Amino acid sequence: MTKKTRSIEYGFNDLPPAGHLIILSLQHVLLMFVSVGLPIIFVSQINETTQFAATLVTLSMLAAGIGSIVQSAGLPFIGSGYLCPNVCGPSYLSLSLSAAWAGGIPLMRGMIIIAGLVEMSLAPLVHKLKQVFPTFIVGLVVAMVGVSVIKMSVTSLFGLEFRGDAVRSADIVIGMVTLLVMVLCNIWGSGFVRIYCLLIGMLSGWGLAVVLVPEYGHTLAVVRHSPVFALPSIGPEFRQISFRMDMVIPFVVIAVSGSLKSFGNLLAAQKISEPELDEVNFTPIRKGLLADGFSTALAGLIGGMAVDTSSSNIGLAGSTKVLSRWISVAAGVIFIVLAFCPKITVALSLMPKPVLGASIIFAGCFMICTGFQEMFSEAWDARNTFSVGISLFFGLSTAFLPGLYARAPELIKIFFTDPLPTTTILAVLLNLLFNLDRTYEGLVRRFRSS
Amino acid sequence: MSDQYNVHRRVLPPFATRLLFILLLQLTAGCASRFDDLDLSAYQYRDTRNLVTFVYDARHILEQEGLSALDYFRANDDHYATEEHYLYIYDLQANNLYHAGMPSLEGRNLLDVTDINGKQISRLILEALDDPENPHGWVHYSWWAPGSFYPVPKSSCHFRVTTPDGKELFVGAGMDYPHEEKEFIRIVVDGADRLVRQKGREAIAIMSDPLSSYNYRDVRVFAFHPDGELLISPVVQDSLLQIRLFECADEVGHHPFANAVKRLASQDRVWEVFMVKNRYQRGLVKKCMYLRKSELSGRTLYIGAITDLPQPP
Repeated sequence: MTKKTRSIEYGFNDLPPAGHLIILSLQHVLLMFVSVGLPIIFVSQINETTQFAATLVTLSMLAAGIGSIVQSAGLPFIGSGYLCPNVCGPSYLSLSLSAAWAGGIPLMRGMIIIAGLVEMSLAPLVHKLKQVFPTFIVGLVVAMVGVSVIKMSVTSLFGLEFRGDAVRSADIVIGMVTLLVMVLCNIWGSGFVRIYCLLIGMLSGWGLAVVLVPEYGHTLAVVRHSPVFALPSIGPEFRQISFRMDMVIPFVVIAVSGSLKSFGNLLAAQKISEPELDEVNFTPIRKGLLADGFSTALAGLIGGMAVDTSSSNIGLAGSTKVLSRWISVAAGVIFIVLAFCPKITVALSLMPKPVLGASIIFAGCFMICTGFQEMFSEAWDARNTFSVGISLFFGLSTAFLPGLYARAPELIKIFFTDPLPTTTILAVLLNLLFNLDRTYEGLVRRFRSS
Repeated sequence: MSDQYNVHRRVLPPFATRLLFILLLQLTAGCASRFDDLDLSAYQYRDTRNLVTFVYDARHILEQEGLSALDYFRANDDHYATEEHYLYIYDLQANNLYHAGMPSLEGRNLLDVTDINGKQISRLILEALDDPENPHGWVHYSWWAPGSFYPVPKSSCHFRVTTPDGKELFVGAGMDYPHEEKEFIRIVVDGADRLVRQKGREAIAIMSDPLSSYNYRDVRVFAFHPDGELLISPVVQDSLLQIRLFECADEVGHHPFANAVKRLASQDRVWEVFMVKNRYQRGLVKKCMYLRKSELSGRTLYIGAITDLPQPP
């Protein structure tokens, strides 16, 4: 038994007993619910009705549920086979809104389908990346997946809904207590307490929130008016699909960025699921990217919002050492069932933000540290220092200094978007640049020997 | 799977399962609220909701305790004058009875007080208290923070109070550098519609007055006929430029005026979101327009206003 695999509770091919499977899946579903807020935000921005919102939530959950199953079920040609559920992708929100404003839901659907197809077409190219992704860059990408959720998780832990709004002390207490419960259950707990640490933390945080902040109890009142079961109301806007040439480029750019993010997520999933691997196995990564693109295209086809792999759920799997892909499959099934149960969906979507923020921080910690461990697991030299250092400086600056990049030249704007894609692209390019001498020497040696 | 993994093959204890389901049932059943009679659903920002709740609570105390509540407010100054806001109470002649932020104003009559732009604040508050479209008595003006020497934009919320001995008062508090709430433009546009229906063409002059409640900060109530004829322009003096509203497009090619008017064929009022550039942000930012149908001299009139939408954190 290797040191790396000794502490795993359920390996990625294990099938937990039914009771455990359901509760472990629910734990992941609770984390996946973070993204259900996106279709609700989307609808509020395009002035559609409550019924429209309910339909969009249902269809988006359906797409995420099917995507999770396809990603994790271990099908022959598609899906990574790792615990890697799908959620509504926040990176698509802004562009989807632009498409919906310009051409309504039919255009949004059409452009999401194109983005999905682009992601699918990128999947076979992943093998070519083998040479440009040495171990330390893989580690950096995994760490950046964790870093990329910092902004969302911390603002959520502070209970912030809008920029510049008030921060409540009670929210900070709720978030910190939730995080502490999760972490302590994970560190000091064993058996059930350890593997359900997120669920225990979430429920205790939610209970505390209802006691400390009456508003959280108050908002739950809307649950009373939601039906237990409802089918989506498919209006005419969900029956048409349209395309627009001038929107193709922005959607292709976001599809490439989404693929990079999913690439990082899948690398992280592989690192925690198969720690014994000495180098990246690109076959499941390729199949995973194919599934990611398929899910995005499917979301557009059925009328939901674009979906993406979930960093937080991978982090949760890593921190609890519960890696069974069947949990992801069951979470997908539960997501599909819940899509038709508005009462439960509404209740779960009202989970206090500080509790959600604590959950994402809990999962993100694992991603960041796994990445760093991976990064420093091989011999380190000045080339690595500058490849990682410079890419981190500029990658993180996109989050620290958004105003600066808003006024930067257009070329910079295109490539310096978010920390994860910017850091990844820069690290790859700089690593290639700083190793040009070695590449040249290698070429010369090969030429001479031939 | 091989035995190399320390796999738990136990079943969940019945107690844990039961507890989980009880919690889920409790959550899905919903909870009653002690704030049922205060509707804050129109507000997007917590700062605004906090302010309304703060004033509402003070109103409740004043309603129950009458003027003796002033002693209670003074004894709890740290609660009624915070960094965020402070409470004040006036009678309907604008005599100040209590001012947690600026005690030197107590006992003075502020009926004719104006802000730096000439807005008659007390009169606007008294108008707001009588406005059925403005349930929380919002007024927007410039003021200054206690101890400071520069003007700050302010939005204040007010409630009318009748004490147990029958005295008519109003209680209020405001926030400096307020968030732009959609509800604020809903109030001024609905108020403008009522004014137009009551006073006809005379209302247009009142609405155009920059010192009226229909104009505050960057918000301006505008009005136009279905053929595009502008009575009050949304941006500039009409003499400078006649904007063709229906041809106006936002940054993604969306036509907010044309679309809103189209939607008004089947509705009385609509909210229309559109995208604009902001030099300090790399993406586009959202604004929204509230437009409603009215009638002036037998002709359909559209009245609206534009405001910012909240940005994600």
